[in-house]
This record gives sequence, structure tokens and C-alpha cells, in this order.
Amino acid sequence: MQTTLAALAVITVGYILAYLIFDRLRDRYGYVGGAEYVVLGFLLGPRVTGLLDAGQVQDLTPIVSLALGWLGMLLGTYFRLPTMALIEGDYLRVALAEAVATFGIALAALLALFRYVVEAPWPDAAVLAGTLAAVATLSSPIAVDAVVDRIRIRSRVPPVLQLAARMDALVAVVAFGLVLAIFHRGDVAPGVRPPTPTEWAVINVAVGVASGVLFHLFLGPRGHLDEGRLFVALAGAIVVASGASYYLNLSPIFTNLVLGVILVNSGGAHRDVARLLLSTERPVYLALLLFAGAAWSPGSVDLLFMAPLFVLIRVGARFLGGAIAGGYVAPAELGAQGLGRGLLALGGLGVALALNYGQVYPDLHPRLVLTATLLAVLLFEIVASREASAFLLSLGQRAEPGAGEEADAEELEPVPGPG
Amino acid sequence: MIRRLVVLTLLVGGAVLLEPLRVPTEGVIAPRSLFLFGILLLTADTFGALAHDLKFPRLVGYLVAGLALGPSVLGIVPPGVLQDLAMMKQLAVGLIALLAGAELRIRDLVQRYRTIGWILALQTAFVLLGLTALVLILRAWIPFLQQLEFPSVLFVALLFAATLTVNSPMVTLALLTETRAEGPLAKTTLGVVLVADVLVVLLFTAAFSLAQASLGGATASASETLFRLLREVVGSMLAGALIGGVLTLYLRFVRRELVVFVIVLVFATAAAAQALHFELLLSLLVAGFLVENVAPVRAEPLVEMLHVVAVPVFVIFFAMAGADLRLQTFRDLWPLILAVALGRIGLVYAGTRAGARLGAAEPVVARYAWTGLVSQAGVALGLATIVADRLPRLGLAMQTMIVGIIAFNESVGPVLFRGGLDRAGEIRTR
Repeated sequence: MQTTLAALAVITVGYILAYLIFDRLRDRYGYVGGAEYVVLGFLLGPRVTGLLDAGQVQDLTPIVSLALGWLGMLLGTYFRLPTMALIEGDYLRVALAEAVATFGIALAALLALFRYVVEAPWPDAAVLAGTLAAVATLSSPIAVDAVVDRIRIRSRVPPVLQLAARMDALVAVVAFGLVLAIFHRGDVAPGVRPPTPTEWAVINVAVGVASGVLFHLFLGPRGHLDEGRLFVALAGAIVVASGASYYLNLSPIFTNLVLGVILVNSGGAHRDVARLLLSTERPVYLALLLFAGAAWSPGSVDLLFMAPLFVLIRVGARFLGGAIAGGYVAPAELGAQGLGRGLLALGGLGVALALNYGQVYPDLHPRLVLTATLLAVLLFEIVASREASAFLLSLGQRAEPGAGEEADAEELEPVPGPG
Repeated sequence: MIRRLVVLTLLVGGAVLLEPLRVPTEGVIAPRSLFLFGILLLTADTFGALAHDLKFPRLVGYLVAGLALGPSVLGIVPPGVLQDLAMMKQLAVGLIALLAGAELRIRDLVQRYRTIGWILALQTAFVLLGLTALVLILRAWIPFLQQLEFPSVLFVALLFAATLTVNSPMVTLALLTETRAEGPLAKTTLGVVLVADVLVVLLFTAAFSLAQASLGGATASASETLFRLLREVVGSMLAGALIGGVLTLYLRFVRRELVVFVIVLVFATAAAAQALHFELLLSLLVAGFLVENVAPVRAEPLVEMLHVVAVPVFVIFFAMAGADLRLQTFRDLWPLILAVALGRIGLVYAGTRAGARLGAAEPVVARYAWTGLVSQAGVALGLATIVADRLPRLGLAMQTMIVGIIAFNESVGPVLFRGGLDRAGEIRTR
């Protein structure tokens, strides 16, 4: 326990230093980031200074599981049906098509890579490809929101872009949850029949649903609690859902996504829940990035060959997926053919998936998955904002500040997804 | 009521249903521990709400929930899980110490120093001397005193009594937070309990050294013992000043993500306290006090944040305290436990009444302050563990009896204090 406490202390000192340096830069020069926390974690980790050794990093895994669950729940809170019902059908179709097409293209390419180039057995290739395809599908809602907010244009594309980022996250998390259920790892107690993949998937959803029901029973008929007890109920629901998923080798992100969807679609506490989650989003997100950096131990083959290939596949899938959705699903007058160009930022949820993968499949190239994800996060952070800005500017005339606000506000609840 | 029973059924049923779907694995915090921690947290909160409905303090519900799920009754939360979650308990103690320090205002202390001083002095003296006498009278029935000769028996009885002079800052703060009580009774009780925390560490260490020397197990001279004692207390205060300084700088220059920062600060202090042998509770108490009263920054953001996290922290602390209780171990000792516990309540009452009279306390303080000084919890349990660890011959037997008495005080004390606050008219919530 001593080492865990020391590890937490080191991470905090690192966090404060990063804050003092980078957030000042952001305040002064408009620098938007998060990757610096990965770098900082890497510097503190066993590969560089060794202030955090491998054992300490491993010890923090349960806390990471909670953070994963927290981000999953935050994502789930976006999908509030009454708000979604206000969104134009075309927008939803385009966003969903973009996400599914991107995932499908990335999955096909990665499956081919792992099965025929790396010559991994089919199940291993499927797990690796499914996970990395999920990561490739993700796009950062925060980054997209920041660009849309900064570049105000007279076009219907920005809300589609924002919606697509959320749909990407939804498709990625669900796909990853299914990978973990279908290719489940871990033994059951003696004398118990191991559940089938379908049953594992149902158990994963059921844990989320049960946690959601529990939360509502906690709130009671009045539908609200004071802040302290709301925190207990929310934290308790997340700990139960994440703990159960972690215990069963399932995805805490997926379970908590289900929990989040239930919470915002039933009862009257959705605003309180969303507010509470948003207030804790940033520290959880940064802690994950720091942890990922510390846990990062890239092999040279991964770094020089596989990770760059993944980055290329992601770029291809993004552009193709965007082109398919924008060209074939979207109405021609929308002009959204280059949608993928606006969705390059990867963000923290990808890191969360990679960490979750490492927890469940510690013997199936977790370093490769984390290396590919972190490299993508770092690289896309450099180019994503510029590309998204260029894409939006290419669509049309810039609007006066505030001109696009009303339409956007009608359609999108101001609850950003994680990372 | 039905809704809460459904919650409990779901929680316990869920824990039992999912258990066989995975072979338990190891780890600093095993995967199962995290899940069971969530179950414990929600169950305790539900029991707390049930207790509230029945006009009991919530924390009695938390304790009962812990006891019910813990190894003593249902065994859903086994000892290994509690061990895994020990850091949560440390976190709870640290956060509450910080809140307690920040709640202690120089202005209030200066205004009531006479009342606090007299109540503290006489309550401590009455309990220490009265319980020593009571234990000596009952020595023929007390297992760990039966084999001892004079003067060892006197010093061991004194150590036993010193452990039972301890009050509970956790219970006091939990109740004051729950009831949002304000008034002379709340302020005086908080002042007595917090200052007593420092005094008791000194008293216990002195009694422990005497008992150890009389049993022939002393390895240090009186001057060395005194030096060690002073080092621990002064070290805790210096560490508290340092932590207070760090907190002040953070509040001055960073301010963001205060919850995360404070949580990790508590963990870091706990690690340092173990390595450098100072008191976690005392150091963070001093830190909170300095930030509130001395530091050139506004402490409101810190205090507000601590009040928000206080609720889950109390749930965690008392649920785990309940789960830690082993009813079976003091099954045979209950008549003795009851006799000593009731004797202690009588001594607390007499000492507090006398102290309040000499300290010219307000009538409500004179009448009800004793109710706030019955509870015992974490600090007393910590001292009992030290006795068990360092006095191997009789320490374990003594610990069993002390834990039994603490369990009684932990259950009865909050009910008494809530009643006292209610009758004093200081409760702000119903």
C-alpha cells in the first residue's frame, strides 16, 4: 500500500507541475492539449526516471478502472432521448453511417494486417483488430466542440460534426464491449458453466442496467438528493458497475455507458448527474493520460512499424468513412463529403480503451495497443485542430460571432463526451 | 421502506450472483474488492437512510450495514477485502481531520477556552481515575489482569483507562455535519473533542510506557520515552504546518481540481506518517486549522469541498468500522464490557457536569455536553491495536475487551449526542 500511496503522490506532483507549465501556456497562447500529460507520465514512469516503477503502476489498476467507468458514464449522459429527438433525422443518419463505416473499414484493414501480415491466429487477430478499430473510430468530442466554437460558419455541418464525434464514441465503446464479451478471458468458479459470449454481453449490459435501477431507487420518489448523498449514490453506482465489470473481465466503459444512458433517460436527476460528472471530468481524464504515459513501454517494432501503420489505417478509415457518409448518406446540399477531416482528434477515450484492453488481455500485445493509441493521440493532436478548422472554413462563409449559436443550442445538449 | 428493502435485496443478491462468475484473483486491491466496496457503500447509505427514518443518526445505520455485510454476520465482505480497502479508511480519517481542523476557529476557542479547558480536564481526570479504580475492583473477573501483581496491575489498569478516555472526532463531526447543528453545545463539544485528541496521545503514551516498564518489556528510559512522545507530537505539528503551507500555496496559485489534490495530499501524508512516525490525524488537524485561521488565503473553497466529500467519507469510514467488528470475539465478555462501558458513561457525565460548572458554561452545555463525549471510534481502535501489537502477553486480551467497549460506545454515543443536540435545540435539519 505504501508504494501505491507514493505513486499517487508522484502523480499529483507531476500533475501540478504540468498544470503550472502547460495550462499557463494555454491561458496565454490558446494552446489546447492533453498530450503533455502522457509525456509527463512517460517521464515519471519506469522507462525514464523510474519515479513510478512497474509494480506501482500495476497497483493503480483498480483506480484506473473507476476512471474508465467514470468516462463511460459521462459519454452515456449525452444520449438523452428527448434531446436526441430534436436532432434532424438526416444528421443522425450521417453521423451513424460515418461511425459505422469508419469502424468497418478500420476493422477490415486491421484484420487483414494481423491475420495475413503478422500471421496471428484468427481469435487473436480479431481481438486486436476489433480493439484497434474501436480506437480508430473514436474522435474527440471536446476537440470538435472547441473547433466548432472557435470557427463559426454559416453551415449545417458543424452540428453534424459534433454529433458524429458522439456517435463515433458510442460505436467504439459498444464494439469494444462486444469484443471483450465474445472473446472473454478468465475462469469461472469450479462447477459453474462458463457463460457463452452472448451471455457475457447480456451480463455486461445487465450490470449497467441494474446499477441504473439501483441509482434510481436511491434517488427515491422525489427524484433528487442533496449534493453529498447524490455523490454517494453516483459514486456507489459507478463503483459497483466498474467493480463488477473489472471483476468479470468485462468493459467498465461499456457498462457505465449503459448506466449513463439509463440515468439521463429516466428520473429527474439527469441535470444534476451531468453537472456532477462534468465537474470531475477533467481530473479523471488527465489522471488517465498520466497513468497511460507511466504504463507506456513501447517496443521498437511496435513504435516503428505497427503504430505508424495503425495511424495510416486510421487516417484512411476516417477519410473513407467520412466520404461514404457525407457522399452517399447525407443530402447533397449539406456538402459534408470531407467529414472525416474534421474528426481526426482522438482524445482520452481511446486511451481508456487501450488501458482497459491491457487489463483484460495482459498477454495479447497490450504494449502494441497502448503504443498505437498513444502515438495516434500525440500525432493527431498536432494536426487535428488545424485540419478541422480548414475543413470548416472550406465549407462557407464565416458567421458573425453568435450567429450559429441558436441552431446549435437547440440541437445539442451542452454535455460533451469524454476526451 | 419497501424501496430501501428492494435496494438491499438487489445489492446483496447482485454480490451473491456475480461471485461464482470469476475465480478471485490477487492484487493490491483485488478486482472483487472494488466491486464489494461499491456494494458496501450503497448498502451502508441505505441503512443510514433507514436509521434516519427511525430517528437514529445515519452513522448508526452505516455501522450496522458494515456489521451485517462483514465477517461477523453475512460474510459478504471478507477480511481480505477490508484489508484491501484500508487505504479508503485512511483517506476518510485524513479528510475528516482536515475538515475538523478547518472547523476549529480561533475566535470560538478564545471565547470558550475556559469552558473547554475545565470540561476537558475534569472529564479526562474522572474517566482516567474512575475507570482505573473500577477495573481494579473488577480485576478478579478481567482475564488480562488476573495473573498480574501490584504495581503492574495498577499500571495496566491505568493504560486500559487511558485508552478509554479517548473521544471520537469522527463521530462528533459526522453528527454535526448530518444535523448541521450550530450553537454553544456543538461548538464546545467539537472544541473539547479535538483538543482532547492531542492530550490523549500524550496521556496514552505515558500510560503505555509505565505499563511496559512495569511488565519488564520496556526498552527505553523515561527520558527516552518522553523524547519519543514529544518527537511524535511536535513532528505531527511540524508536518501539519508543512502540509498547511502546501495547501495554502495550492489555494493561492492553482485552486483547480481541489478534490483530487486534497485526496492525494492525504494519501501522501499517510505514507509519510508511516515512514516518519507521526500522527496522520493530528498533522492534518493542524494543517486544516492553520489554513482556516492563519493562512493568507480564503479557506472557503477547501471547507466547502470538504463538506461535499464528507458524506461519502463518513459512509465509508463507519461502514468499514462496522465490518471490522468481530462480535464473536467478545461474546463471553459482554457482562464485563457492559459494566465498564456503563461505568464510563457515568464518569463522563460526572466529569463533564463538574467541568461545565467550574467553566461557567451555558445551561445547555452543562446539561448535554456529556452526550457528545461518550462516542469512541477510530482513534480508540488505533490505540487498542497498538496495545495488542506491543504488549504481546496480555495485549490481545486487552484489545478484545477495549474493542467491545468501543463497539458499545460507537453504537450508543451517536444516539445520545443526537438526542442532546435535539434537546438543546441546535439541530438545523430534520
